[in-house]
Amino acid sequence: MNHSMRSESLDRRSMMRLMGSASGLGCAANLSQIDALGDQNLNDQLRISGKRVILLWLAGGASQLETWDPKPGRPTGGPFSQIQTTLPGIGISELLPKMSTHLNDTAIIRSLNTKIADHGTAYQLMDTGRVTEAGVAFPHMGAILARELGNIDSKVPDYVSMYTSTEGRRKGSAGFLGGRYNPMFLTDAMMPENIQRLDEVPDIDHRDRAELRDSLSRIFARHHSHPSFDGHNSAYGRVRGLMASDYLFDIDRESETSRAQYGPTQFGQQCLIARRLVEAGVPFVKVARGWWDSHGQNFETHQELCADLDHCMSTLLDDLKERGLLDDTLVISIGEFGRTPSINGSLGRDHFASAWSCTLSGCGIKGGSLHGKTDEDGQTVVEGEMDAGDLYATIFAALGIDHTKEYMVGSRPIPIADFDSTPCYSVLT
Amino acid sequence: MMNFKTLKVTNEWPASEILFCLEFDADRQRVWFGSSDSRVYQLNLAEEKPERVALEGEGHSSYVTAMAVTGQYLITGSYDKKIIWWDIESGQQVRQLQAHDRWIRQIAVTPDQRLLSIADDMRCRVWDANSGKSLGEFTDHSPLTPHHYPSMLYAIDVSPDGEVVATGDRIGHVAIWDAQTLEKTSEVEASEMYTWDPKQRRHSIGGIRSLAFSPDRKKLAVGGMGKVGNIDHLDGASRIEIFDISSGERLQVMEDSKNKGLVEQLQWTEDGSEIISTGGKHKGFLSIHDVSSGQQQHVSEHSGHIHAMNVNFDNSTILTAAHHRLAQWSFAPESVTEPESVTEPESVTEPESVTEPDNAPPSREDSE
Repeated sequence: MNHSMRSESLDRRSMMRLMGSASGLGCAANLSQIDALGDQNLNDQLRISGKRVILLWLAGGASQLETWDPKPGRPTGGPFSQIQTTLPGIGISELLPKMSTHLNDTAIIRSLNTKIADHGTAYQLMDTGRVTEAGVAFPHMGAILARELGNIDSKVPDYVSMYTSTEGRRKGSAGFLGGRYNPMFLTDAMMPENIQRLDEVPDIDHRDRAELRDSLSRIFARHHSHPSFDGHNSAYGRVRGLMASDYLFDIDRESETSRAQYGPTQFGQQCLIARRLVEAGVPFVKVARGWWDSHGQNFETHQELCADLDHCMSTLLDDLKERGLLDDTLVISIGEFGRTPSINGSLGRDHFASAWSCTLSGCGIKGGSLHGKTDEDGQTVVEGEMDAGDLYATIFAALGIDHTKEYMVGSRPIPIADFDSTPCYSVLT
Repeated sequence: MMNFKTLKVTNEWPASEILFCLEFDADRQRVWFGSSDSRVYQLNLAEEKPERVALEGEGHSSYVTAMAVTGQYLITGSYDKKIIWWDIESGQQVRQLQAHDRWIRQIAVTPDQRLLSIADDMRCRVWDANSGKSLGEFTDHSPLTPHHYPSMLYAIDVSPDGEVVATGDRIGHVAIWDAQTLEKTSEVEASEMYTWDPKQRRHSIGGIRSLAFSPDRKKLAVGGMGKVGNIDHLDGASRIEIFDISSGERLQVMEDSKNKGLVEQLQWTEDGSEIISTGGKHKGFLSIHDVSSGQQQHVSEHSGHIHAMNVNFDNSTILTAAHHRLAQWSFAPESVTEPESVTEPESVTEPESVTEPDNAPPSREDSE
């Protein structure tokens, strides 16, 4: 109890953490016991309050050469030209004409070297910010940010993940943070399943049942003690809020104009849902757009998928800005890796993690900035190399979260960004 | 009847680029080919050691994918949306047109010297092949697929008598046109050649990549790829469909699930009994089918995906433009008893590197 019982202004979230602190948050045994008191810096809490993240997950690995780091005229460059953006000296692929005029709030990072180029392991790396380690279940980005940015009293979900393609679908895990931070995971329908109240149970009955359950739980707790009780009760406390959040997924509540702006594709509709969710206070939303794994016909695949990305991402940024949300919402576009500069016999590009790109937009980001450089053929990073840990540190810093902050897992401190990670300050405000 | 079982590579010219199209001059001594380095090259096969020479001029700025010869001009089309006229004798660029709004896929010349160009703007434009004057355009192809993504117009062919034109797109739609009036006369569908994956990977692959009228203009061959399970790859069977033009009836389907990938070009034999197809996945193939039975008569594999071929029945040779190589093949002019199909040359003329650039990309293809 070192550091935390110092203020009477602790919010309920803090109190809940304190209550659960003796033995963690009631998740699995061994290393799953984290010290929930380790993050009770109230100033930090205030600073990051209201921050949100939308992750546009380009599943399968988009080509950096057909998006953010074109090499026109080079043997590796492919057939597309480079278009000048509204930012002096920065060109991107012609496949992203709308984004070329939307970089005032966006930073491009062209120097990721994450080394791992198979889907499963690379996904794990980019979704946790570190290499898998036996015996430690690292939480993925959404779970960390749900915990850091979320509110225990929230009536909306902390973490929503949409992944409708089946290839490469991985739910991920909140790891040692516990099931409380697992995502609401939408795979088939645009609307969460099984959260609607049954018609045969009137609302008043539903509330009565909740009160009865609370009463019984309190009586039970007087005579029994177990860390899982808090998590159990907390989960029940959130149920009614989650049940009431189904309207957030209903884009028919949007104006026709708004729906038309996002377009007819599923990715567009999901980006609109993401905007509705962050507007309602959901701290982390992941929209996965698969499947970019273009071993054959890379250029035509990117004509299809980049058209979707370009339209939906630029519309989303516009919408967030017009609603005054972009300053507090970080939009990330990234996949598990990039694609080879060399072009194979099927006019495809294969997996490549040595020199690839991502973007960060909005909250905490120095718009119009460009970080890193690859060689003339895109084979290696020649300036500003970053690994997954550095990217995570940058994301945390953009959101006002101390990237050196540690979770105590049992007796082991684990920093939220990997050891020796450094934020990329050149893209931060 | 040609004896394609004797088909073999007799000469190869490796290149560091991808070669997409080729044409010969009238006496079949000089060959031109279009490259991924945006250049158009000439190779004189009459020379003892042919070396390629780039044609001179402003040239293209993206992949050169389309080519035709008419009179004194070589005409090329490119993903840069331009058509360029080159003087055959001087090798100089003489005219260029910003012809389309998106990638030019193929061009063709009619017997009455009109140039037809097709592009991903889904238009077929008609030009005077000598002056470059625009003569009209037509389209019957939707710019978007049924799933709201950009479509592509890949294939065109002009009937041997120049009376009829066919155009084929990504979703498997073929429109057949009167070449004089530019009125659509009929259409056929080869929708098996378009694979939309609505669930697993949520994008598409395929399309009609080649069209060829039979010598009597009664049939149309359509080439592409059959349905694909894993659309990350060109993993469908190579596929040819034969249609009766007057009825629209599909007469024949020929699939090869061993030699997978796209059928990039089709050529009927002179008597219309067989059809030669070429294309591929990572590697390439040359395949011959009997049209009436649909049976594959012969197939030869090739080390690179073949994008184009030119068949010369007079001297029984085929020239192919492929991924990283140009190759000359030969076959016996008539059926003779040959023991085995020869798929790769045992002794190929020592390949001459075709001016390999210093900055050729390393061969580096990570595994899946």
